[in-house]
Amino acid sequence: MEKEVVKTDILCVGGGPAGLMAAIRARELGADVIIVEKSNTLYSGGGGAGNDHYVCYIPEVHGRDPKPILEAYIRHPQVGIRPEFANIWLDKSFEIVKLWDSWGIPMKYNGRWEFAGHAFPGEPIIHLKYSGGNQKQVLTKQALQRGVGILNRFTAFELIKVKNRVVGALAFDTLNDRLIVFQAKAVFMGTGSCIRLFPNATPAWLFNSNNCPFTTGDGRAMVYRAGGALRDMEYPVQWAGIKYFARSGKGTWIGVLRGPDDKPVGPFITKPDRIYGDVTSDMWTSVFDDYMKSGKGPVFMDCRGATREDIDYMRYWLIHEGNRGILDYMDKERIDPLKNAIEMSTYGLGVKGGVEYNTDCETSLQGLFAAGQEYGGSMAFATIQGWIGGEKMANYIKGIAHADISVDNKSIETSKMKLTAIRNRKNGASWQEANITLQQILKDYAGLVRSETLLNQGLQNLERLKDTVNNTLVARNGHELGRCLEVMNLLDIGEAVMLSARERKETRGKHNRTDFPFTNPLLNKILHIKKEDSKVIFEWKSK
Amino acid sequence: MPPVINAEKCKKCGVCAEICPGDVFYGTKKKEIPVVAFPEECWHEASCIDACPVDGAIELRIPLPMMLSYK
Repeated sequence: MEKEVVKTDILCVGGGPAGLMAAIRARELGADVIIVEKSNTLYSGGGGAGNDHYVCYIPEVHGRDPKPILEAYIRHPQVGIRPEFANIWLDKSFEIVKLWDSWGIPMKYNGRWEFAGHAFPGEPIIHLKYSGGNQKQVLTKQALQRGVGILNRFTAFELIKVKNRVVGALAFDTLNDRLIVFQAKAVFMGTGSCIRLFPNATPAWLFNSNNCPFTTGDGRAMVYRAGGALRDMEYPVQWAGIKYFARSGKGTWIGVLRGPDDKPVGPFITKPDRIYGDVTSDMWTSVFDDYMKSGKGPVFMDCRGATREDIDYMRYWLIHEGNRGILDYMDKERIDPLKNAIEMSTYGLGVKGGVEYNTDCETSLQGLFAAGQEYGGSMAFATIQGWIGGEKMANYIKGIAHADISVDNKSIETSKMKLTAIRNRKNGASWQEANITLQQILKDYAGLVRSETLLNQGLQNLERLKDTVNNTLVARNGHELGRCLEVMNLLDIGEAVMLSARERKETRGKHNRTDFPFTNPLLNKILHIKKEDSKVIFEWKSK
Repeated sequence: MPPVINAEKCKKCGVCAEICPGDVFYGTKKKEIPVVAFPEECWHEASCIDACPVDGAIELRIPLPMMLSYK
């Protein structure tokens, strides 16, 4: 396998909204920036097919007193923001909204700021509806116009460290089957969420996930292997939506969640409401699963009683959100939301935790910055922090020289040998086998029921799987090698999840320890996990 | 399986292969009808349809397990 070295001031790993915003801002401030993207920034990642709501404070809509808005923001179950970031959001969200609007992402609807969905009746609404179907194309254009270099189909898979400083990353060029060594003064991690770790709604169909299945926690895994801290890895999250056709966007549906007897399952609305939606499943994502398990189910998204205009309005936003596939399918099958109630379900588990970074986007590793869904959610959070990260990095690289990476040649050579071995092997396990096996281990030993004994056995199984995978994985071409790298990342994340779950000896949120079935007030802290010379270290941090 | 190319309408521009987030058209050659090499990796978010310059040149076939349950 060939090897090449590329130098830049700033390397952005992942061309999602966070990475593109960071790249645009850092380039504006004079830095040379390259984005490596394993797909194509025009459509990649969780925001690739679009989005339709941006959590935002607009004084002319919400009033001058920001306090109720700030409280609504912190308390909102779907936003899940860390309090220390809330004031930044308050200051910056409208600024970014205006910037995007000026770039050509329509942030207004019919000439006005439209707020709707994910809201409790009577409470302030903080989700701005915007027509984000073209957001990735617009952001890509803005980046290219400023001279950001974008390399698509490049899968970054390992950070390069010299004397405890991150000085670049290794990436695999999928189309040309070669290894590229990127040298940078700062690296920005924005690889998105961590999907495909647990089985989804249709386990035999691996890529049927509610969030983008090509986001496989690559940033988390690279940071973990490089000795950086991950946080909250012990907490599972659970999403919900249309049954079997896994997709986010349930908040966009204008209907009432009803049981088989047509009675609403939640207390918030009794008829379809365009402004508020039915927020029940934001609060209670397991409602669908709970109804099924008790035999009371199923639960339906029932739009009957809405007007045709309501449905057109809903379809408009679902398309901008990237849900055109589901709508086309409904049309083809003649499923009419005004006549048919559609069953909903609770989906498989995901990981709440991710890369620890502060309000300046600094991680625990020098030279490494992160934002977006490396930890935490929402388009607003990703873009505001991406923008700030771009500014901080442009400032950080001033006066910094490129490191001498020849001192790290050994780990680069090891990575090269690992990749070559996978490509050259004739017989062995496919990435699919490894992925499916990992999912069954995570589900059975670190799912919604956890205990010391389950986790001990799960970890043994996982370590055996890792060994086998390292010695037997086969990739017939560059595409499959990319998938192998994803699965190897997921294996490391699975390990961090199980170790963290074993360390937190209490029940808290969806982390359910049957051997410690209570919440311990002394453990109301954040758990960090990191590796020092391949030894795992835990640190408990005050909130 | 997932993206289905209408060979009569396809202009062979290759944009679907270039932008597909899942790279399901891996191995597609320039100026040829795209190859759906990894159909089971399609996410059905319809990026290819959105980017395709010709209406109706690509359709998504939704796999059976992703059925909708409705009444």
